[in-house]
Amino acid sequence: MASAFRKIDIDAYDEDALQESELYEADARDPAQVLDEARQRQAAVRSSLAKSDVAGALSVILDNAPYGPNVDEAKVLTLQTLLTILNTTKATEITGVIKSLSQDSQDTLMKYLYKGMAMPGWGDISGSVLLGWHEKLTEVAGVGCIVRTMTDRRTV
Amino acid sequence: MAPQVFTLAQTPITSHVFSADRSQLAVSLNSNDAQIFSSNGQEWVPTETLAEHDKLITSIDWAPNSNRIVTCSQDRNAYVWQETPDPDTGKLVWKPTLVLLRINRAATHVKWSPLEDKFAVASGARAIAICSFDPENNWWVSKLLKKPIRSTVLSIDWHPNNVLLAAGSADMKARVFSAYIKEVDERPAATVWGSKLPFNTVCGEYTSPAGGWVHAVGFSPSGDVLAFASHDSSISIVYPGGPVVHNIRMQSLPFVTLTWTSEDVIVAAGHDCRPIVFSGSEAGWQEAGTLDDSTAPKSAETRPGVGGVGRLKTGAFATFRDADSRGQSSISGGGSQLTNTKLLTIHQNTITNIRPYEVRGNEVTKVSTSGVDGMLVIWDVNAVTGLSGRLGGAQLR
Repeated sequence: MASAFRKIDIDAYDEDALQESELYEADARDPAQVLDEARQRQAAVRSSLAKSDVAGALSVILDNAPYGPNVDEAKVLTLQTLLTILNTTKATEITGVIKSLSQDSQDTLMKYLYKGMAMPGWGDISGSVLLGWHEKLTEVAGVGCIVRTMTDRRTV
Repeated sequence: MAPQVFTLAQTPITSHVFSADRSQLAVSLNSNDAQIFSSNGQEWVPTETLAEHDKLITSIDWAPNSNRIVTCSQDRNAYVWQETPDPDTGKLVWKPTLVLLRINRAATHVKWSPLEDKFAVASGARAIAICSFDPENNWWVSKLLKKPIRSTVLSIDWHPNNVLLAAGSADMKARVFSAYIKEVDERPAATVWGSKLPFNTVCGEYTSPAGGWVHAVGFSPSGDVLAFASHDSSISIVYPGGPVVHNIRMQSLPFVTLTWTSEDVIVAAGHDCRPIVFSGSEAGWQEAGTLDDSTAPKSAETRPGVGGVGRLKTGAFATFRDADSRGQSSISGGGSQLTNTKLLTIHQNTITNIRPYEVRGNEVTKVSTSGVDGMLVIWDVNAVTGLSGRLGGAQLR
């Protein structure tokens, strides 16, 4: 049976189609400003990590994380910074660190864990580290946190 | 009191509703037909079938005072059923009247207005049909609420003033509309939602916090507060004055249905298979516990971390885990523990429908739930069991 019809973009024929931009509220910040903030946060994270303050570093990077279109560079930078935190944290500390985060930050962290798992081999992504964090985060924040990662269109 | 459990079918129950005196029950068992059950004191016996739709029935509502049933379906039609004497035998039978909905997608949810002179039908056509009876032509006519709905409307609920309507939609928003019909309604008094209310006035629009479809909406008994549950595993309670929105994010799976039992208590249920109770006021809301008492016949050990993450890690999960980590296949004579796929909750699958069952004074004392497992359960609202495991975890944060 012909299946080509399944690839027809029917939205093109709908004058009133739902646009991607209607799915979430756009970030009010200017892309250049977002990138600037991401750089500042990277520096703040480095100094927190130097004092081995993992919880502080995580809440800095997860707060107001970049989302939406046109901020790809800031997104990459944030992911990189986050990965350095995840990779340097001792396995025994993870649960305590996660519990100290706000619910918002926990949800954002889950988004980054899935983003990382979707990019195997990129940068210094280590599957076992991400899975370790994922397990501990699910224990604290529940499957509801994973559900929110799936539904939220403000992708990081 | 322990919950009363009835297994009505082996198929999912799409919708259930009781008659005013609770002696009869109308359900749709995932088919084109609605089935009426009567109670013989012990169990529910099927008595009549309402067959007129030619696609799946999605929702049923039974008007308690005028004793009329309305059904809506994926065939884009709604029927109002009235008990009339059969001309030959004189026996009372349910007779359908077609309603002209004027929608081009499936109808998803139907509800009688409090005065029972109107009903609203939500649909996939980005519209809600407000239907009222036209005595001159002797049929039901509809008027469509369209703007600014951007996607399928999944649930609706009437305000007690018979004019305002709440709608939850797959465009991730809950809205409050005016469904004022000049021919039917008297001019409504001003409420917290607004004072000038021509048809299709949007009195409020609220977004789910993490972009989930809004599965369920409900006005509080006074109509001054709106609650909605969305697919981002959260429930939001809206006080329109501020507006103040209280949002509770759940650790568990999303809710798909909710009902208020008093001005300060909500019961919600969904993919987590058990009803959860919330309590609060304008100052704040919190989870009070669950109606599904975890201790009943099973021992504490067999219900690991009720409310915790591992709660659903039962049979199927264990089977795959053992196959993965130990190379064990439970199919070839594994222990009975591994093949046990029974959930620890009473409902064995998603709860899709929750309704008030018994009302004393101003408070609902019992609620009924039905779900994908074909079960109907009647719960005592006051039998709340704390979620000790989860609350402990929540306090740590």
